Amino acid sequence: MSSHSNSKIELHKVGQSFVTNQHSVSLFSDLSFSIEQGRSYAITGPSGSGKSSLLMLASGLEQPFSGEVVYSYNGQIQPISHIRSEIGFIFQQFHLLPEFDALNNVALPLKLRGDKQALAIAKEWLEKVGLGHRLKHKPAQLSGGEQQRVAIARALVFNPKFIFADEPTGNLDAQSAGEIADLLFACCRDKGAGLVLVTHSDYLAQQAQQQLRFNAGECQWLSTELGSKCHA
Amino acid sequence: MHKLILPLAWRLFLEDARMVNHRVLQATQTLLMVFIVTLTLTSESVQKHLEHNMANLLGADAVVTHTGALSADEFDYLQHTSSALIYTESLKTTLTHADKWQRVTLKAVDESYPLQGQVQISKSQSAVAFSAETAPNPGEIWLDSRLATGLEVAVNDRLIIAGIPLLISHIVHHEPDRLMEGHNVDMRALVHRHDFMQMGFTDDTIQYRYLLNADKPQIDQLLRWQQNQLPSAEVRHRQGSHPLALFWQRTENFMGLASVILLFMAAIAIYQISQIQIRKEQHFTAVCMSVGASRFEGLKVSIYKWLLNIAVLFPVVLAIATLCHWTIVDWLSATLHNLTWQPNFATAALAFSAGALILAVFQLPVWLSLQNASVKQLVLNFPNHQRAIVSLASAIAVLLVVTAIYSDNGLLTIMVLGSMVVCVALIALVSWLSLTLGEKLTQRYSGLIPFATFMMRQRMLSKSTQIMGVGLCAFLLLFTLMLLRDLGNTMHNYQRQHDGNLFVSHANSEQMHAVDAWALEQGGQMRQRKPFMYAKLIRVNQQSLEEFATRPSESLATLKRSIRMHWTDAVPTNNHVINGQWWDSEPQYWQQISVEQEVMTDIGLSMGDELIFMVGEQAVEFTIVASHAYKPGGGSITFWVQMPNTAIKYLSAPHYFMASIETNEDSFETLGELWQQHPTIKNGIYARNDGAI
Repeated sequence: MSSHSNSKIELHKVGQSFVTNQHSVSLFSDLSFSIEQGRSYAITGPSGSGKSSLLMLASGLEQPFSGEVVYSYNGQIQPISHIRSEIGFIFQQFHLLPEFDALNNVALPLKLRGDKQALAIAKEWLEKVGLGHRLKHKPAQLSGGEQQRVAIARALVFNPKFIFADEPTGNLDAQSAGEIADLLFACCRDKGAGLVLVTHSDYLAQQAQQQLRFNAGECQWLSTELGSKCHA
Repeated sequence: MHKLILPLAWRLFLEDARMVNHRVLQATQTLLMVFIVTLTLTSESVQKHLEHNMANLLGADAVVTHTGALSADEFDYLQHTSSALIYTESLKTTLTHADKWQRVTLKAVDESYPLQGQVQISKSQSAVAFSAETAPNPGEIWLDSRLATGLEVAVNDRLIIAGIPLLISHIVHHEPDRLMEGHNVDMRALVHRHDFMQMGFTDDTIQYRYLLNADKPQIDQLLRWQQNQLPSAEVRHRQGSHPLALFWQRTENFMGLASVILLFMAAIAIYQISQIQIRKEQHFTAVCMSVGASRFEGLKVSIYKWLLNIAVLFPVVLAIATLCHWTIVDWLSATLHNLTWQPNFATAALAFSAGALILAVFQLPVWLSLQNASVKQLVLNFPNHQRAIVSLASAIAVLLVVTAIYSDNGLLTIMVLGSMVVCVALIALVSWLSLTLGEKLTQRYSGLIPFATFMMRQRMLSKSTQIMGVGLCAFLLLFTLMLLRDLGNTMHNYQRQHDGNLFVSHANSEQMHAVDAWALEQGGQMRQRKPFMYAKLIRVNQQSLEEFATRPSESLATLKRSIRMHWTDAVPTNNHVINGQWWDSEPQYWQQISVEQEVMTDIGLSMGDELIFMVGEQAVEFTIVASHAYKPGGGSITFWVQMPNTAIKYLSAPHYFMASIETNEDSFETLGELWQQHPTIKNGIYARNDGAI
């Protein structure tokens, strides 16, 4: 699939803050950038700096305190909720369904969509992520790295336009983290999905085409290929 | 719905079924459903039995009795006002055989008889009765057992009535429309209408009885019509249900209210399990949403999973409930004769659906909690908590609905629910006190006990639900056992304690001695024995009865004949005084009487009225000093008019007795000998069969 696409998520001057002990704490403000399908973005920074909040805003899971998040397709602006079915998530805790084996975990998105080839496609994806020999294993019988591979396959099996990953290697050892990072980027690249990931891992962040760093109350693009601005 | 959701839900259901908490949930649901379905099935069996019993007692919904045949227009009207109509003809006559004779009611029927219930006949006096499939054929006659004894005839003997020879083909034991004939105890004979017509009785001597199947509006319409158009006719109707049906209805309602305990326990168990369910279902829905599915898909899977669970429960519940139903019916059949077990899939399915509705309400908090499911909870890794108020509201809603369905008596409802609330409060209080005392008393010692009691008190809410669960289980078990025992005893007592199974309606002193001896010999027990003498009311306050009572009534019609007058000093156990003062033991003034309240009302009598009765050859004046009414529970023999014991010294008339005996049913076979020894017992002894006298 071509890396170029006319689908993108646009954040216009979004800001987020929360109230604690009657004090309002601003995480970031006036943040504007676009997430294009087919490109990869990494959000880094220390804990509590607002990385996960930005992920949730960008994916439409939360409403921004200020500004707006929209979906743009061929120049037509639509609410972000319109692409909910085109977004997949990958989590630090994997969140596989413990009662299903690997094959059925991966097949879940297709089954929910009524795809009769669900199991066959899921099997292909498990082979692609190197788990062709673990089809019938339940999550409890898999290592952390294997579970995250299953989660990546599950997130991509329905060909989403965008993948949002929250510290996908946070629970893995260094070797597994490297393998998962390579796999994640390769899969997104192959399927032409936009990838937004939150991570503490420099190795993972460096593989992204765009890197947004939160630090000491500020955020900045480490590569400014798109020329986006950031204020925190 | 697309086809893959159901297999997905099935797979999740199977996985759930392996988990312990889900098995506990299923056990709770099964228990609840089995209770509801069993109660419904049992109730229907009993109600159907009583309905059938009622049909056998009354033979029709309404009966119009008229001397002489109705005109064609009148007959058409009856047909129009009923769903089914037949008629019988009868008259009193004397049957003879050799040198024997008996006054009988000769009844003519055809193939359409009976309308409701079944005629019980046998091939000989000692043979077991069976249900007749047809009326007597032309050329045949059926006699009742006493008549056959009185005439000294047997089956296959012949009788000639008005020149028509008739073969005695059967002994008749029970006619279903007998009670509607006004409880008369005449000897009976049944012939075919064809023969009856040939006997040439004049129409004005024949009593026509039109038996109708009719609902309440039709009966009301019929009553209005009879009052306006046919005042010479008499209408009797069933006016509601079998007394035992009402009794059973109350029992069912009481059991239903008792099921509130079960629902309360189920609510506790389901609430605890639902907290785990909510987390699981929310997680599943959030995962579905994380792969682009909507929240609604998660809800759909949850609902299908629940429906599959219900579908799996159905055969299990049906099997267990059917077994319980069979066992209960078998147990009840000792009290309710001829109550038989019959499977009823439709009723079971309906009751199961109602139970499923209750479970759906209990499941509502789980489904509502999915509204809060979000991918955000997976990112932030925290569960969304459901407010306990929803679970509480669901449980209260179910309890209220069940209470409303089964409540037919405010006081009973308050007593049952009040006792349950007190029980729950006591369990909670005793638990709290035990833990507090346990902690205080063991504080000075080190070790696990004070720590354990302290921890339990800290977790009082969750522990108390567990303690209550155990406590209520024990309570329910004891409660059910006691309830079943009381119910069995009450129903048994209702039928047998006071009345026994053998009824002596009329016997003189000598005959009564013979009955006593027979009962003693058979190991029977005398339940009631009440003396009476015949008396005919001739004047009320210096007026003749006809002059005094101008309003026609059943009481008036009866009082025009000789009635039975009982004497007693104490108020009978089955009577209570409504008005006036009952006399003391051996009062000096003997000319005082108590009259039954309904008779007082019908005739228009008042306290202090002076009544003159013909007793034997004497005209005796009495003053009404009290009025009494029948009180259930102390036997069924009661009298309209009662006088002091001292009165019998001044009255010269034969003494008779009414009595009831509880005896072994095997001894009924020896009744024939008693009748043979005392054929002059006019309206002697009746064996109770299915409650029909």
